[in-house]
Amino acid sequence: MRQIKLKRLLGALAIAGSLAFAGGAATDAKAEGGTFVWGMSSEMSILDPHVACGWLTTNAIHSIFEGLVMLDLTDASATTAQLKPAIAKSWTVSDDGTIYTFAIRENVKFHDGTIVDADVVKWNYDRFMDSGAAHAFDQAQAYLGYYTRWIKSVEVVDSMTVRITLNETNYEWLQMGVVACGMPMIVSPTAVAEMGNEQFALTPVGTGPFKFVEREQNIKLVMDRNDDYWGNKAKIERLIFQPLPDQATRLNAIRAGEVSMIMEAPWEELENLKNEGFTVTTNENIPSIWLLFFNFKNPIMQDVRVRKAINMAIDRDAIADGILKGTGRPEMGMLSPGTYAYKPGYAPIKYDPEGAKALLAEAGYPDGLELDFDIYEYGYNEVWEKSIQRDLRKIGINAKLNKIEWITYMGKWLQGMPGELHMNEIGWGWTIPFWTQVMSRCDYHPPNGFNVGWYCNPEVDKLFDEAVKQKDKAKAAALYQQANDIIIGQDFAYAVKFTYKNPLVLSPSVKHFVNPPANWYDFSIIEME
Amino acid sequence: MPEYQRAVPPPGVAENRLTMLRFITGRLVLTIPVLFGVSVIVFLLAHLAPGDVTTILAGPFATEAVKEKLRISFGLDQALTIQYAKWLGHILQGDFGASIANRRDVVELVFPKFLNTAILALSSALLAYIIGFFAGIFAAARPHSFSDRIVMSVTLMLGNAPPYWLGLLIVLLFSLSWRLLPATGMTNIMGNGGVWDVFLHLILPMLATAAAPASIVARMVRASMLEVLSQNYIRVARAKGIRRSVILKRHALRNALPPIVTICGLQLGYLLGGVLFVEVIFAWPGIGNQLWQAIQARDIPTIQGATLVIALAFVGVNLAVDVINAYLDPKIRASERAGAS
Repeated sequence: MRQIKLKRLLGALAIAGSLAFAGGAATDAKAEGGTFVWGMSSEMSILDPHVACGWLTTNAIHSIFEGLVMLDLTDASATTAQLKPAIAKSWTVSDDGTIYTFAIRENVKFHDGTIVDADVVKWNYDRFMDSGAAHAFDQAQAYLGYYTRWIKSVEVVDSMTVRITLNETNYEWLQMGVVACGMPMIVSPTAVAEMGNEQFALTPVGTGPFKFVEREQNIKLVMDRNDDYWGNKAKIERLIFQPLPDQATRLNAIRAGEVSMIMEAPWEELENLKNEGFTVTTNENIPSIWLLFFNFKNPIMQDVRVRKAINMAIDRDAIADGILKGTGRPEMGMLSPGTYAYKPGYAPIKYDPEGAKALLAEAGYPDGLELDFDIYEYGYNEVWEKSIQRDLRKIGINAKLNKIEWITYMGKWLQGMPGELHMNEIGWGWTIPFWTQVMSRCDYHPPNGFNVGWYCNPEVDKLFDEAVKQKDKAKAAALYQQANDIIIGQDFAYAVKFTYKNPLVLSPSVKHFVNPPANWYDFSIIEME
Repeated sequence: MPEYQRAVPPPGVAENRLTMLRFITGRLVLTIPVLFGVSVIVFLLAHLAPGDVTTILAGPFATEAVKEKLRISFGLDQALTIQYAKWLGHILQGDFGASIANRRDVVELVFPKFLNTAILALSSALLAYIIGFFAGIFAAARPHSFSDRIVMSVTLMLGNAPPYWLGLLIVLLFSLSWRLLPATGMTNIMGNGGVWDVFLHLILPMLATAAAPASIVARMVRASMLEVLSQNYIRVARAKGIRRSVILKRHALRNALPPIVTICGLQLGYLLGGVLFVEVIFAWPGIGNQLWQAIQARDIPTIQGATLVIALAFVGVNLAVDVINAYLDPKIRASERAGAS
């Protein structure tokens, strides 16, 4: 009797096992049907473009929504991402660079069927500007202040034409609309009116190549192809973003064929993944740099010799090759790659710990000194900050790393450094060099900007003012590079460490994915085999 | 009849029920101060941590006026005591508030995730009890034999294996090498789910979660059984020539149960709050995962809601264990009754 029971149990287990195997096979079959799953390193923010922030969130926003213009992300070999027409099919700029006239594209429909026209565009600008309109949204105004502070007026010329007049010439303004924090995308007024701001952020309605289907917090965001899209329709049927915060889990997921792409795979695993048949794609022109801010309110850091010594002491090659396994590149300039002003190979000094030590002694610190250094707890930055800590120890600087949880860190960082702190850090960038202005202008000290180390050099600001007025990008780039020569080459106001090549791992079934010179991607061009 | 026996008379069936009821009521009353304490700690922990959620909400370019307006809209500008009183009032009405980070109702966020954790924890617990129970009895039946040593060595190893490491190992074998079972999630993210799909996704995290508690239960069962088996009445039974299986089942097991039930309950409580590592490695959408992400986003209402639900579950499990123990062990009821009179 007992033996019969045991046999039955074993039989049941065998059936369960074989069914489980069949279930696994079915998973693979569905993936070939046109679903692309991205295993992300963290959950995204809400999906209202006017009040959302962050690179991951921008990937969803740029799939669901469009602005007047968008970035062309289909060219992996481009050194900078270029603007392309979107809701605006074309635009003209007045000779003095202050009046932008946009011709709105005909027959563009939101996912809810609402037609886009000039009034819809104006309604959107009224929502995120201090317009006094009933639907004006104060949080959106806060998010988009960096973009709208340049705007004098937005007018409807006719049903398909919008004119935006700027306060002063700024040839980078248009591209400011496609950076990743507070985005002037065109949202459906009908949907916002029906749902209200809160609900709209949960069930977004745009005009983009993908439409929102569902979102389960911390589990998945599902988008389907927009079959009524005005332009080239997406090749894949379904796009899913899945937050997988654990690195090992992401690796397991791609190896098990459960996701189509992962980011932030362990650097030392990249070679193995290539050998296993996965595609590892990188880009040399990702528009972001990782840097240290020095505190100009602190007497020690006010001495340029100390700042220069720290710059000389950091072994950038050790970080780029040793830690990042070649997925990073040493960088010293404040002009990020992926922008038209970038100068490859800019290096006013060399790695020279002995020279740094001598310079420190000359500055009055022959026995070294102690520095307080705020770092954030997010991603893998602690690995390279510890490497910098070791570098600094070699020249007698004892850098005390204050590791702060990300949200607390951001709150503190945005306020600017308090007097007693010596250094902090960030990794960031835009596709336009205006970002360097936001980080280093005298009038961008907190709370008006992100110059959190209180650096100020009026000479630099004059060059910046001239740069944005140049229609000719070569001239603007030359001015930016002059400014950079002062900020780094003369003042050593920051210690820029490296740029990241953003390695992405793709399953063999993914075709035509482009890792562009940006921190988000065009999912409409992907094909699944 | 001697005096001491009359003080605690042998209870009848009706009285037995009454005693149990009194016991349960007593325990329920005791949970009130516990829950109150938990609520205060949960509330304070989330509020006293540094950092301002309005930084995230209003964006990096926000003016102080916009931030202040947001603080007012979330009631963050009021005194802590008032915030606590309001929060508690809402909680008592089943209103856990809205998530600051993603504007959703906390109840909607927390309870489905708790259910997912409960599915994982309960099925793991069940598996752990079954394996632990039989392994323990098997080992105790032949103490110090070769099979006993094998069982005890394996449980020692599994019981001390970090769940995260064990999870990775299990995925490596079952998902990546043998391609038998899925590696992540609770359902196939490209499919439509269904019970069978959930079951397939459940197996590996269940194994990883059950390993440690199964080992602990096995060792407890063995120890408890061995203690009972060394009692004189068992010797007598053996001397009478009763079969070993009958001795184990009829005479030893019930007396060995109370400490086993206690350890089982403790394991369940531990599982409910502690499957976090397994949830992370298997991307199991449970309460631990949710809580972790809420902490990252400084989402106070969600942190409070999730922690409170975990605490409630813990209290509930402990209560259930106490009740089961009282039911199994008349001595506990008797002490309760004596205490009451």
